[in-house]
Amino acid sequence: MPVLTGKELRIVGFLCNWCSYGGADTAGVGRFNQPTDLRIIRVPCSGRIDPLFIAKTLINGADGVLVSGCHPRDCHYAEGNFYARRRLEVLKRFLPILGIDPARFDYTWVSASEGQRWQKVVTVFTEQIHALGPATRHENVSPELLAKVASAIQGGNRVAA
Amino acid sequence: MSRLDALKTRIKEALPGLECVIGWQKGYDALHNTPLFIRGEADVDKLEWGALNVHNPAVYLPSFAGKKVGVVVKGCDSRSVVELLQEKLIDRDNVVIFSAGCDGVVDIAKVRAKLAAAGLSAGNAEKVTVDGKTVTVTAAGKAVSMPLAEVAADKCLRCQFPNAVLADAFVGDPAPQVQAAPAADADLAALDAMSVPERMAFWRYHMDRCIRCYACRNACPMCVCRDHCIAQSREPHWLSQEDSVTEKLMFQVVHAMHLAGRCTECGECQRACPMDIPVLALKKHLNRTIHDLFNYQAGVDVAAIPPLLQFKLEEDNIKERSW
Amino acid sequence: MRIGVFVCHCGSNIEGTVDTATVAKASLDFPEVVYATDTMYACSEPGQDGIIQAIKDKNLTGVVVASCTPRMHEPTFRRAVERAGLNRFMFEMANIREHVSWIGRDREANTNKSVDLVRIAVEKLRRDAPLIPSKFSVNKRVMVIGGGVAGIQAALDCADGGLEVVLVERESSIGGKMAKLDKTFPTVDCSSCILGPKMVDVAQHPNITLHAYSEVDSIGGYVGNFQVQVKKRATYVDWELCTGCGACMEKCPSKKNPDAFNEKIGPCTSINIPFPQAIPKKAVIDPTTCRQFVKGKCGVCAKVCPTGAIKYDMTDEIVTEDVGAIVAATGYDLFDISKVTEYGGGRYPDVITGLQYERLLSASGPTGGHIKRPSDGKEPKNIVFIQCVGSRDKSLDRPYCSGFCCMYTAKQTILTKDHIPDSQSYVFYMDIRSPGKMYDEFTRRAMEEYGARYIRGRVAMVYPKGDKMIVRGADTLAGTQVEIEADLVVLAAGAEAAKGAPQLAEKLRISYDKYGFFMESHPKLKPVETNTAGVYLAGSCQGPKDIPQSVGQGSAAAAKVLALFSKDMLESDPQISRVDIKRCVGCGKCIMTCPFKAIKEVEFRGQKKAEVIETVCQGCGICTSTCPQGAIQLSHFTDNQILAEVNALCQS
Repeated sequence: MPVLTGKELRIVGFLCNWCSYGGADTAGVGRFNQPTDLRIIRVPCSGRIDPLFIAKTLINGADGVLVSGCHPRDCHYAEGNFYARRRLEVLKRFLPILGIDPARFDYTWVSASEGQRWQKVVTVFTEQIHALGPATRHENVSPELLAKVASAIQGGNRVAA
Repeated sequence: MSRLDALKTRIKEALPGLECVIGWQKGYDALHNTPLFIRGEADVDKLEWGALNVHNPAVYLPSFAGKKVGVVVKGCDSRSVVELLQEKLIDRDNVVIFSAGCDGVVDIAKVRAKLAAAGLSAGNAEKVTVDGKTVTVTAAGKAVSMPLAEVAADKCLRCQFPNAVLADAFVGDPAPQVQAAPAADADLAALDAMSVPERMAFWRYHMDRCIRCYACRNACPMCVCRDHCIAQSREPHWLSQEDSVTEKLMFQVVHAMHLAGRCTECGECQRACPMDIPVLALKKHLNRTIHDLFNYQAGVDVAAIPPLLQFKLEEDNIKERSW
Repeated sequence: MRIGVFVCHCGSNIEGTVDTATVAKASLDFPEVVYATDTMYACSEPGQDGIIQAIKDKNLTGVVVASCTPRMHEPTFRRAVERAGLNRFMFEMANIREHVSWIGRDREANTNKSVDLVRIAVEKLRRDAPLIPSKFSVNKRVMVIGGGVAGIQAALDCADGGLEVVLVERESSIGGKMAKLDKTFPTVDCSSCILGPKMVDVAQHPNITLHAYSEVDSIGGYVGNFQVQVKKRATYVDWELCTGCGACMEKCPSKKNPDAFNEKIGPCTSINIPFPQAIPKKAVIDPTTCRQFVKGKCGVCAKVCPTGAIKYDMTDEIVTEDVGAIVAATGYDLFDISKVTEYGGGRYPDVITGLQYERLLSASGPTGGHIKRPSDGKEPKNIVFIQCVGSRDKSLDRPYCSGFCCMYTAKQTILTKDHIPDSQSYVFYMDIRSPGKMYDEFTRRAMEEYGARYIRGRVAMVYPKGDKMIVRGADTLAGTQVEIEADLVVLAAGAEAAKGAPQLAEKLRISYDKYGFFMESHPKLKPVETNTAGVYLAGSCQGPKDIPQSVGQGSAAAAKVLALFSKDMLESDPQISRVDIKRCVGCGKCIMTCPFKAIKEVEFRGQKKAEVIETVCQGCGICTSTCPQGAIQLSHFTDNQILAEVNALCQS
């Protein structure tokens, strides 16, 4: 079954097992209502999240990607989220040059006890994605926009050389 | 003594202890120099030095791992050597670096355009001379002169290192520093000026041409995975063989992200592209990001640790989002 | 692969907002799913039996259970599929309770989302491989770091359990903070009378090796096989020869040094045994004050020592101890009261910490157990106690409660009245925290029987006036300002992480919180375990604790060590990284980023390659996301598995 048309957007979460996945569990145990869009992929550590997973997810048409790990200094594996922080920040700043709105990707830190924070993160992020609307895939760029950009390139834009 | 002759002298001295020395020689036509592998003294005289030495010979070094070789480098090429040393992909004891000051190399595409403007075809080039700041190409019996600055590779227009950052034998006078020309970063500036959806259309337009030949990767001195590139493996299976814009763009993202904090902007990826896809812009953008975030530049310091392979407990330039 | 999907109702917990039958039916459309059903309680005995039966009847080779969080029941179901003859890693869970049914009431959306979560679980399972743990031997020796009461208890319990114990203590004697206390609450037992025998037991126990005046220098290895380098600091006294007679202390001409054991309110000699009950009772020379070191001549102690134990040329020594488990029991330190400038701690001699007051109360303290105030040695009559100095104070970055200050202050008011019957104690407090057996009754006694006057409110400032200290504060219950002329002010300084705790945590590769307290594995269910296998916690190094809690944790940590050592061989978790040697180019980026030093460089047919040390790898996968060619893959979380999940979500 696809996402519910008109109701949900495709949002993929990558969560570390020890903190944020636990935080999402805590939010569930506390019955903290959340939007239903998010689908969570569990990984052992935010350090396991190759930024290319996120790029792949977005390029392949997801409307949003949310990453969450342990707070800095609280990593179950001591250093994983420190590496993640650098790599994810680089990716976030890389997305706009590819034509992907950086607001479609966010990363944060939520501990296993922060159920309420998780609820807030999911709610705010989902609202943010809904405000952006469904993402366009590179393949589906409108012919008008493609024609406009193509003519600018052929019209002597140095990039095309 | 010219820079070329001085290089030849030094290479001849060192050659007996080396498996080979990598440099440039005259190529299949007057406009193109091609890589040279000097294995005996007779080969030394084939060496060329000058504006047609566009290739980055550092790309060949990892394939000689374990053997002692020499390499002739321009300033920009030397940064790739530094980066390879830093990543322990080559051994400092096994590489002898020859270099001289570089006054810039040509961008063949720009030369081609100049010739075309004069009604000539690059395919007919018979003779090329570079005299100071002027390149003169003779084609079909007609000589066309063009200022080097107008046909130089973009990277030369913003060159920070006209002289090697690391060399065992640096001959002749150092080349003067270059005043960065705004045209050098016109590619990035053009992308910066676009809206995000326009950039998507931009890549859609360009990547559509990609023929998945991987010349960009094969020319890249930092693409050390070689036969094990994840673009073509099943384990792991990052990309399908589907001929779609998303798969082709995804490869460029893989290439760029794997180069984050490692790319020296030698520009070989874009030069090698047979479809003239501006793939270097992605790497330039990432380098700018890496510089903003970590104040880091690749290929300058052999002892440095690439920024994505380390961290700080408190990052100076990464601010956490408040929810 | 033949996959079975079991969708749990969890009573009405899931079924209430998810149509589990529809989820099961939809699962049958997924590749390689041959069987799907909904089930009332998958984790119950009949539920597990149903799974086992289905595996046998339908020849299933992999199982997905859609139910609660895998953090809860993944081990349960893994054991179940193992009982049915499958490898326990041929199993995946879809969390449709905490992540679906409990966070929204839209049945259509929940059902739809549950189907998606099953889909990605199936896609991951299709790429699961059987994993088999490897076994390795255990060195059944344990190291306890820190010889306070928690460490002493852990060491004694382990030693009584038959283990060889290495106890490492930073100071020259074990005993920790408890050895400095005069009495303990709520029984008003003499502290050294109850601790002393335990200290002697440590000294005499045949299974305990004590390294006093020593610190942990570095730690290598992994659970079952740690190698610890212990730095034995130079004492300048040969402890083999020293009898603890004290002749050197009597004759030492450098007598006016601040005595660390007495919290610097009394002097001590440069060669010193900290207190009469010290274990080991051996002298140590402080080279920063000793005249032989400072001026290059003296040598009095060497002359008077009857056994010739003085060795001025002694140097630090490193000894290596091989152990299979480590208990960290490094305790706490006191908040620096001089940081609260308005109270004048550190500036006025008659503003002291609670622990300094203990030394004034103690018969072995600098005043022989007579309360004399530091400035002029007069007996104080009006004594003001201020609570929460460096506790529950966000402005000082000490928002936590130190836990035991309310109780020791009550005790000190009682002892004050015993020592000086005509004295009056005043206590400024925020709230009284006295949960514990007989604790609240004890604080009541302080007020009601011993007449301590408790004033609820904060003190604004303390300043000297003549030979008095004026304490000005608020009485928030009466709604008035209060000003008390005190002879002595005692600050209940909060507990903070021991100096050097973060550095030790990094050597132990355990986490610590922002205040430097070590992190337990689970705040409720694993209070003495850490996330590093084989490393346990006891006492205040994990957070402020009083004596009974510390002793309890010492015993708990010992029980954990004994349980660990009850097996001759340990199993390593097979969810670790593995190198595809064909793809590895030997660049070493994985080695650089591994937080556990679990990857080493090896030579394979003349080429450099990475190799994972199975027992050290913790399975974080940082290496996998670092390796550009994907040559090192974390088992059970491979690139292909995560990519399959991504693809399933993006294409659906």
